[in-house]
Amino acid sequence: MPERYPGYDVLAKRATPSWNEPTRRVIDARLSIPNEPRFFTMQEWETLTAICDRIVPQPKDRAPVPIAALVDRKMTNDERDGYRQASMPKMQQAWQRGLAALDAAARASHGAPFHAIAAVKQDVLLKAMQNGELSGPEWNGMPAHTFFSERLAHDILAAYYSHSSSWNEIGFGGPASPRGYVRMNFNRRDSWEAVEAKPGHEAAARKANERVG
Amino acid sequence: MLDEALHSPRGKDGRAPDPLRVGGWMPMRQYGENDEVDFAIVGTGAGGGTLACKLAEAGFSVVGFDAGAWWRPLEEFASDETHQEKLFWTDERICDGDNPLKLGSNNSGKAIGGSTVHFAMVSLRFRPEWLKSRSLLGYGADWPLDWREMWRYYTEVEQALKIAGPVNYPWGPPRPRYPYRAHELNAAALVLAKGCEAMGIPWSETPLATVSAPRGRSPPCVYRGFCVSGCSTNAKQSALITWIPRAVKAGAEIRDLAMAGRIETNDAGYVTGVHYYREGQWRFQRARNVVVAGYAIETPRLLLSSANSQFPDGLANSSGLVGKNLMAQTNQAAWGVMEDEIRWYKGPPSLAVTEHWNYTDTGKDFFGGYAYMSQGPLPRAWVSSLAGNRGLWGDALLRAMEKYNHQAGLKIVGEVLPQERNRVALADEKDRYGLPIARVTYSLCDNDKALVKHALNFMSQSLSVVGARDIWTESDDTCHLNGTARMGDDPRTSVVNADCRSWDIPNLWVCDGSVFPTVGGVNPSLTIQAIACRTADRIRAMAAQGSL
Amino acid sequence: MAANNAGDLSTAATRQLVGGAVGAIALGLGVALLRRGFTPQTGRETLAGARTHARQKRSPLRVDEPPQVKAARRLNRAAGLLGTSTLLDSAVEHYRGSFQNKAMYTPLIVSALMLAVSAHGTRDKRPIAHGVRDATYLAAALTGIAGTGFHIYNIAKRPGGFSWQNLFYGSPLGAPGAVALSGLLGYYSERLRDNESDKIPKVFGLPAGRALAALSGVGLLATAGEAGLLHFRGAYHNPFMFAPVTVPPLAGALLGETALSRPRRPRRLTRWWLRLTALLGFAGAGFHAYGVQRNMGGWRNWSQNVLNGPPIPAPPSFTGLALAGLAALGLLEEHPDA
Ligand SMILES: Cc1cc2nc3c(=O)[nH]c(=O)nc-3n(C[C@H](O)[C@H](O)[C@H](O)COP(=O)(O)OP(=O)(O)OC[C@H]3O[C@@H](n4cnc5c(N)ncnc54)[C@H](O)[C@@H]3O)c2cc1C
Ligand code: SF4
Repeated sequence: MPERYPGYDVLAKRATPSWNEPTRRVIDARLSIPNEPRFFTMQEWETLTAICDRIVPQPKDRAPVPIAALVDRKMTNDERDGYRQASMPKMQQAWQRGLAALDAAARASHGAPFHAIAAVKQDVLLKAMQNGELSGPEWNGMPAHTFFSERLAHDILAAYYSHSSSWNEIGFGGPASPRGYVRMNFNRRDSWEAVEAKPGHEAAARKANERVG
Repeated sequence: MLDEALHSPRGKDGRAPDPLRVGGWMPMRQYGENDEVDFAIVGTGAGGGTLACKLAEAGFSVVGFDAGAWWRPLEEFASDETHQEKLFWTDERICDGDNPLKLGSNNSGKAIGGSTVHFAMVSLRFRPEWLKSRSLLGYGADWPLDWREMWRYYTEVEQALKIAGPVNYPWGPPRPRYPYRAHELNAAALVLAKGCEAMGIPWSETPLATVSAPRGRSPPCVYRGFCVSGCSTNAKQSALITWIPRAVKAGAEIRDLAMAGRIETNDAGYVTGVHYYREGQWRFQRARNVVVAGYAIETPRLLLSSANSQFPDGLANSSGLVGKNLMAQTNQAAWGVMEDEIRWYKGPPSLAVTEHWNYTDTGKDFFGGYAYMSQGPLPRAWVSSLAGNRGLWGDALLRAMEKYNHQAGLKIVGEVLPQERNRVALADEKDRYGLPIARVTYSLCDNDKALVKHALNFMSQSLSVVGARDIWTESDDTCHLNGTARMGDDPRTSVVNADCRSWDIPNLWVCDGSVFPTVGGVNPSLTIQAIACRTADRIRAMAAQGSL
Repeated sequence: MAANNAGDLSTAATRQLVGGAVGAIALGLGVALLRRGFTPQTGRETLAGARTHARQKRSPLRVDEPPQVKAARRLNRAAGLLGTSTLLDSAVEHYRGSFQNKAMYTPLIVSALMLAVSAHGTRDKRPIAHGVRDATYLAAALTGIAGTGFHIYNIAKRPGGFSWQNLFYGSPLGAPGAVALSGLLGYYSERLRDNESDKIPKVFGLPAGRALAALSGVGLLATAGEAGLLHFRGAYHNPFMFAPVTVPPLAGALLGETALSRPRRPRRLTRWWLRLTALLGFAGAGFHAYGVQRNMGGWRNWSQNVLNGPPIPAPPSFTGLALAGLAALGLLEEHPDA
């Protein structure tokens, strides 16, 4: 996929009026978390990282977003959503149970842990989970499809889209306080917003994006 | 980080944080726990915050309690969806039914100012007929209130919040001019406007509780678009920066990080005060009256868990209706991709609205109405819609997300019918205070589904006539919570009367979204605040007559 | 921490006082500028002394300047000032509009040229029109008219058409009118120079003084209308916002009265009221500069607030029009029938 916003970097605005001090502190902390587990066991961590790679396949030409670590910190701090479906255990347990169950499913069908099987096979298993086709004692009554949508995809995607690299990808303006925006009409951008590359004009967009700030 | 307010209370020692100034404080009156205050109010959001202000201004002694923190937005709100989850009610709740609700960030707040700290500021009035929907429109239940009286209280609230709205509002009986002018429309709103014009129905700028010109220490809105993550500009006229400072100035005491766990009653069947947890221990505040204003889940939860031998089914529950008739308005959407760049992250999310289907009764195969508004979800909220509804992940998801800046959408606030099976009850599981958590059961009825279907059809068409491609509809979302302690004329079919006073216990009141007998197709907070203003006036009048 | 610069002021009252103070400083600056403006040659003539134009020469070295040339030069100055306001205002507004359309550069170029020829005209005491000036002014007038057309078209095609929303936030209807007006004033000044000095000056067959009074009066009313619209958008949140919808319209009315009534006593009230209006134009810029500071992030967030806050260059257009009105009064004093 060619980049839609080549050269755009939300972080270039860090010192502009688009970012206030609280935002700098929050984002700095998020961008510096070590890519290692605090909550999950090593085995769970390997499964989780493998899942993250499938849910959000990241481009190879930039530092990867440590999605698994972001999910892991959510568990460490037990930052819950404020509700859960009656069929689901609490957040931490749900994850532990779901990861173990997926790994068990991989071993059962491929004789290897989830992280060790080929990507296509991983996708097939994830799809089966999404469709609610996985079950067994490891699930202990937790519906696989609910786990997929309410926990697995939900937490992984929330983690990814809380990271500035993802904002660059989609041309999101990112933090905006005290400075917000001025030009709100169709096809208008402020000079502190990403420039979209029209096909064939990627170089020009890249240049313009280097000036965003 | 930036969460000191969550760990130690700030409203104490005779002072309270001034949310409008960096590091600011304001003096605050303090009452002893043995002082029998006139009113103990649980919850300081749209209902409780407004009532605390109005009662204090009327000269009553008032103590407000909120489980949430007392924030200073200028220095403690980051421009970040994830971090700002600190504003939400994230204590556990269990959801079931055919359409289990998504709570937390989606609809309930926990802070001084309640959910208005992170609400989307849409400030609409009820259609007058809705207050008598049973007699006039044939569904739901009648309110014990008269619309003309409500019209006056709406005006009071609109003035108090300096609502920025259109010069002429296209629907309903005439209303006074909004105190501030409407905001400039963003492209997302213009998509709605064009669509309405093509479909031949009226549209309008949305009346919003964020200022379009300076007001006191509130600078005008800067169109940063993080409204539902809290407004670090203080342009948003939340209860936190409007009613609460007014209340404190008028002599109310507000206690933050104070979780009410039980309301006490005496042998005579009156309430005597509130047990609450603050700074590591349970405390008790004596009060002549207790008002519950914890929003449609926490209010019934507190009433139910205050059950005692005298009131075994919970307080104010002789009708058996406490917790029942929960109405979570439908919040379905149609989304599409435009050729133009939209960049909907700019500006408040819902700058344009149409209430056409609230005010038109023909051409519908269902009861009730809906408004729809333009949208502007930030990346996390957007991916949750995309993945949640379409089940996208992997490359397909990334490709869809890439169109973020070309995306436009229309979303309803839809009326749902009151059903007794939709309810809040107590679960066996306990929270960190040892209190039973809420179990929230929710299922849409056929009428609700027909309304949603109508809306999704209409909105999809209205997107496609303005050139949107890849249109898809989101059918699984709900928003505002109401009902669960409805008001009425009859103690057998309602929990409180028109004055928000409980039928069973004369000095126990409920003043928040719970008292709605029906919800209509508009966002509720303006109505909640208008009812609170009315309740305060009624209390003052009753006190003057000696009938309090 | 988040910069809330306005937040440090303790009450709404002090804030308005500060606004008043900033306005007053700008007012002072305006007075100083105007005084200079009134005395380019001798440096002695005071503001009040403008009335003494009818008297004989003050400097023995100076040849007597025919009154219509004097009036013409004042008009050049007025056109220049109005042109400055429109130049800066259209620069800001069209930058906000991202120069979406190449034609959006036109008012900038034309206003800049107008500024140059007005400066030239202000110094030029010859009683003959100047070709380049003439052409520039004419071009400005035409640009203004075309611009009005463009802006009307832009508004009409937005959803809602001529709704409040579009009047508030769409292309401003009055702004190109100001360009046209300043061009017209300049063009008028050139016509004045064409008059023979001993005759009653006429332009297009109309008595020049009265016609000019009427023109600037209408200009003041129209500009006050635009200010009224935009201050309505700002909900008159500050009482000072009523100033531009009260002072200039009265000046416009007084000028109208001047244009229509029989020649009579010196118009002291009109003159002073016009001066007040001229000063208000500068004070307005000061208020607006303070208004920018009151927006989130204040001047530190200039890249947003200069565009979204109150327009700083707009109010001085009142000054330009008031100066034109004063020039008309000057003419009438020389030739009561003019
Ligand atoms: C994302 C979002 C957007 C919204 N947008 C809009 C909108 O645009 N327009 C609109 O009209 N409405 C909107 N709403 C809904 C609106 O915010 C609520 O309807 C309204 O605030 C409810 O008022 P309330 O007084 O009933 O409760 P709340 O405002 O939620 O206040 C309840 C308070 O009570 C406290 N509390 C509860 N239980 C206890 C207890 N036991 N002890 C102590 N404290 C307790 C809570 O901490 C909370 O602060 C939105 C809501 C959300 C979540
Ligand atoms: S868009 Fe306006 S109201 Fe919303 S957060 Fe920004 S400044 Fe506040």
